[in-house]
Amino acid sequence: MASVMKTTRDVKGIGLSILRPDGPDKVTGQVQYVADLNPRGLLHAKLLRSPYAHAKIVRIDVSRARALPGVRAVLTAADIPVLKKKAPTRAHAVLAIDRVVFAGQPVAAVAADELAIAEEALDLIDVQYDVLPVAADPLESMKPGAPPVAELGTEADTSEALAHGSVAGVTTEAKSSKAVNISQQARLQRGDVAKGFAESDVVIENTYRVPMVHQGYLEPHAVLAQWDTAGNLTLWASTQGSFNTRSEVADVLELPENRIKVIPMECGGGFGGKIRALCEPITAVLARATGRPVRYVMTRREELEAGMPAPQVIIKMKTGVKRDGTLMALEAEAILESGAFSGAVLAVAGVFLASLYRWPSFDVQGFEVLTHKPSIAAYRAPVAPQTIFAIDSQMEQIAKAIGVDPVEFRLRHLQREGDKMANNQPWLSNGAVEVLTRLAEHPLWKKRAEWKASSKDGKLRGTGLSLGGWLGGLQPTGATVRLNPDGTLQVLTGQVDIAGTNIALAQIAATAYGVDIDKVKITTGDTDVAPMTGLSAGSKTTYTVGVAVMQAAENARNQTLEIAAKELEASVHDLEIDNDKVVVRGVPDKGITLASIGKKGNLYMSKVEPVLGTSHPAFSVQAPAFCGQLARVEVDPDTGEVTLHNFVVAQDVGKAINPLQIEGQMQGGAVQSLGMALTEALIYDDQARLTNPSLLDYRKLTSADLPSIETIIVEKPAPHGPFGARGVGEPPIVPAPAAIANAIEDATGVRLTHLPLSPERIALAIAAAS
Amino acid sequence: MAKQVLSFTVNDEPAEVLVQPWDTLLEALRERMGLTGPKEGCGTGDCGACTVHFDGKPIASCLLLAMQARGHTVRTIEGLGKPGALHPLQDAFIRHGVPQCGFCIPGVLMAAAALLTENPRPSEEEIRYGIAGNLCRCTGYTKMLAAITEAAGATAGRRS
Amino acid sequence: MRRFELVLPGSVDDCVKALAQAGPESKLLAGGTDLLPQLKNGLLKPARVIDLSGVPRLRAIEPGNGQGLRVGSAVTARTLELDRAVRAKYLSLAESGALVGSVQVRNLATLGGNLCNAAPSADMAPPLLALDAEAVVTGPKGERRVPIAAFFTGVRKTVLAPDELLVELVLPNPGARSGGSYLRHTPRRELDIAVVGVASQLTLANGVCTKARIALAAVAPIPLRATAAEQALEGQAVTPDRIKRAADLAVEAARPISDQRGSADFRRHLVRVLTRRTLTTALARASA
Repeated sequence: MASVMKTTRDVKGIGLSILRPDGPDKVTGQVQYVADLNPRGLLHAKLLRSPYAHAKIVRIDVSRARALPGVRAVLTAADIPVLKKKAPTRAHAVLAIDRVVFAGQPVAAVAADELAIAEEALDLIDVQYDVLPVAADPLESMKPGAPPVAELGTEADTSEALAHGSVAGVTTEAKSSKAVNISQQARLQRGDVAKGFAESDVVIENTYRVPMVHQGYLEPHAVLAQWDTAGNLTLWASTQGSFNTRSEVADVLELPENRIKVIPMECGGGFGGKIRALCEPITAVLARATGRPVRYVMTRREELEAGMPAPQVIIKMKTGVKRDGTLMALEAEAILESGAFSGAVLAVAGVFLASLYRWPSFDVQGFEVLTHKPSIAAYRAPVAPQTIFAIDSQMEQIAKAIGVDPVEFRLRHLQREGDKMANNQPWLSNGAVEVLTRLAEHPLWKKRAEWKASSKDGKLRGTGLSLGGWLGGLQPTGATVRLNPDGTLQVLTGQVDIAGTNIALAQIAATAYGVDIDKVKITTGDTDVAPMTGLSAGSKTTYTVGVAVMQAAENARNQTLEIAAKELEASVHDLEIDNDKVVVRGVPDKGITLASIGKKGNLYMSKVEPVLGTSHPAFSVQAPAFCGQLARVEVDPDTGEVTLHNFVVAQDVGKAINPLQIEGQMQGGAVQSLGMALTEALIYDDQARLTNPSLLDYRKLTSADLPSIETIIVEKPAPHGPFGARGVGEPPIVPAPAAIANAIEDATGVRLTHLPLSPERIALAIAAAS
Repeated sequence: MAKQVLSFTVNDEPAEVLVQPWDTLLEALRERMGLTGPKEGCGTGDCGACTVHFDGKPIASCLLLAMQARGHTVRTIEGLGKPGALHPLQDAFIRHGVPQCGFCIPGVLMAAAALLTENPRPSEEEIRYGIAGNLCRCTGYTKMLAAITEAAGATAGRRS
Repeated sequence: MRRFELVLPGSVDDCVKALAQAGPESKLLAGGTDLLPQLKNGLLKPARVIDLSGVPRLRAIEPGNGQGLRVGSAVTARTLELDRAVRAKYLSLAESGALVGSVQVRNLATLGGNLCNAAPSADMAPPLLALDAEAVVTGPKGERRVPIAAFFTGVRKTVLAPDELLVELVLPNPGARSGGSYLRHTPRRELDIAVVGVASQLTLANGVCTKARIALAAVAPIPLRATAAEQALEGQAVTPDRIKRAADLAVEAARPISDQRGSADFRRHLVRVLTRRTLTTALARASA
């Protein structure tokens, strides 16, 4: 949908590093998040959460809590008739009915005048639990006879995979009859794997483990709910998709969607963790029960104990190659631990494992396994970092084992456009080769031998790189572009801006219409007024909503030119937009201002139609986007501490609509990737209770742990993207774990396959090796 | 357990506000005074989003009881600079395109401002440690470092 | 946080009176960096909180007898980090102050809080052990002095009676030819908690070590001294071989557990590495 502009001059639009309009509000503390709202009569909500990962609820007595002065409502599942025992999703499990299936699961809810009173009310709720055996480890949980997690007959939830729109052609099967906690399984096969291994010279086997990690958004989940007397519900939400929140709340509470208005507030980070409804339904119920506005803000401890983290992923991988480097066979088993409810993007894992490189034969199996832990959700390129960690670590080891250059080895076998992915879909145009080539040309890579040789003071130096990507999401959307009476443009979408996308969309509107960006204002509307749209997820906002905005702006432009043609008695084809007016090409003094066209569309008794450009496209073609990362490290072999000296991110963005915002995405994504590589893990005990429920012990990287992140923007246009743009958000979280593992091996000779690559793992591995 | 009167100075103006004994300074500022610039990201001093200046020094306002601020001086992001009269750090943060989701930004700015008051010409390492108590999940800190470095030159220049 | 009554004493005497009245139902509040998270998480639910921030004496740093130093229990980590008198002779204590939390936390967290919270990982405990500090404790029966080595009695337990208050720490003058160092290991550089912490203090005379102190954190229920390692150095010239031997002996003193912050094996490994490094630094500082 690359568009040919009729404009003869360059407008200030796409391709420029234009600042976000919300900068001043954000640096002065004026931006409003949900927790900043404090309406008259506000009540505060708290949830009583189960201390046990698996228990039968024998009895709940709330009478003492209800009697506490200042308490306005105390609810249990018995008070909410729409709740069903077989909760198909986490959102439906508003309050536990008669069994809790993870520690931290809500059991009762309180609304009170003050937060302190609500907390005291929780202390006064008496719950009698019968503690049941716990499935805490996915490898144990997938065996027959493990303590069951889901209610019998609950269906697998594959909506997350659909939301990310990432892979077609993989059917996931229902669970097998014996292993009660396997909720999805999938298999991808091609060729004769046994023969491939038999003919291989070098066979390498490893088990890669990536623990559950948290998305780590700084703003905890928060929602404010209020009902009007006519029975309409308004939710002020921190969400990545207001229409999705509306649908889920409507479904859970059995309400018509048009009775719910979701107002998306500034979202203080989502990264996949604010796609699905979590605390919205219970807050709405509390507001209805009290007739007052109710605000619920999760504590950080609740976020960590009972949020929706990324799955633990365990990948057993075996590869076989010829001594000359010919790929022969790949065998892999991926186990995705999804916690107490189904919802992992299993198919994505399978496709990534076998699709990046040209394996003539492969057999990849995937299992989604339930355990008694909080259920998982998406986290920025869900399961891509985990699977790329495995496959890229493996490629590096193969290259080392047969003594070839690791970049050349990857480039030789990388699948190209048109090659068949593991699901037999063709690879679409992408910049994987270009990205890897740019990294290999980087001086830090070329000088890796010198860096290694410069090791001193007992420290060890090394360099590593890795390549990964994301297939790109799709979802129908819509946008309108209005011409105002003063000649300015108003863009309206329902898309939540979680990544600086609104300024990019405004730039697209400016270029497509033919005016400068300062004439364009963009608004994210609530679900009552905005065109329906999808999630801000899957790296698809610029790619899909960008197309809608571009088409709506073109539509508005055409309407504008048609009106101008009538007014000027000229042919539309002779007209162009020049700054703030429409002129006849070659006759510069013959023109009409955009303001006067806008005014005519809003004058009493006017016969000129107001300019309202619309577009509501659906999509079928994805745009894969690749990212390569390069790390230069120094390792203290005694303590295992890794000092990151340099980190480079190269990424194919198709067309950089706003380079400044893209750099921010690349840098932030890279640091999340580095956190997964180096320090982050949700650590559970054998009773599936979280042992590190604070940001002191759940270690996101700080500024002191990092160098400045260097960015290299690669532009290989996406054939169907707006002006060639691809998705940007997800690819940079993918490569760092493998890049760091490769760098650590270069420095120390030790290969680590379990994340995080913690000082303990590194130091003890070095000690064991020496 | 009646409310108590907290008398202190906030953003250069004397303030008297009724607080509960168990209110943290952060809660008093946000819920009782409408100063919602400081954010609660963790409530346990591990993220820095609630950073304010307490007698000029950066503190985690989620870890101080409101009544412990009696007689003291507090500055929040609302008192760092205003549109039209921004602090050089705020100006640099805008121009470098630092804020993404924005939730950490008030805390980072207060930590950085305190750093520059104590140390007008910090090294890169001093800046990195100066804001190491402020977690940011969006930016990777890179643009923050650039903005603070530039603003340090500006504030140091202004002083001399 | 749940509700409580807040008491705001203005002097040490007022504190003692308030403690006597409220007894076991009360908690002392200094910097709040340990107490408030425990209140917020519901681990403690006191009826009454006594705020020490209005007691000037607890914030004082004053010369002690024999050129020693008296450091008030409510002196902040940030003050320890920056104070000239502390840095001049008690560098390991300043180093421990500089490592706590982040600057926002160090401006609140206090020396007394770090000790009275009595976490096995308390950063300020090893330097105080290595410096032979004494705790000055007051209560209804008057003041008493407790050697810091006898202060801790278990995980989150101290010798303090429910009606007693830690007033200050008395640091003896280590002498001119003495040097110390505190190091800890954490996965992050800031905003973290010690997996293991080691403080060493060496005093020299005529090329011979006259006094050696090695103290460990996060390897036992309480911070403790590695006395066998100390004895291996005292009366000897401190050579790299003897440092290595002392580090091995320090490992034997450790009784670590495995938890989410580190395994017992890794903790023992770190005791060896950090004892070697702190002794090496302490020797250089003592010799300077």
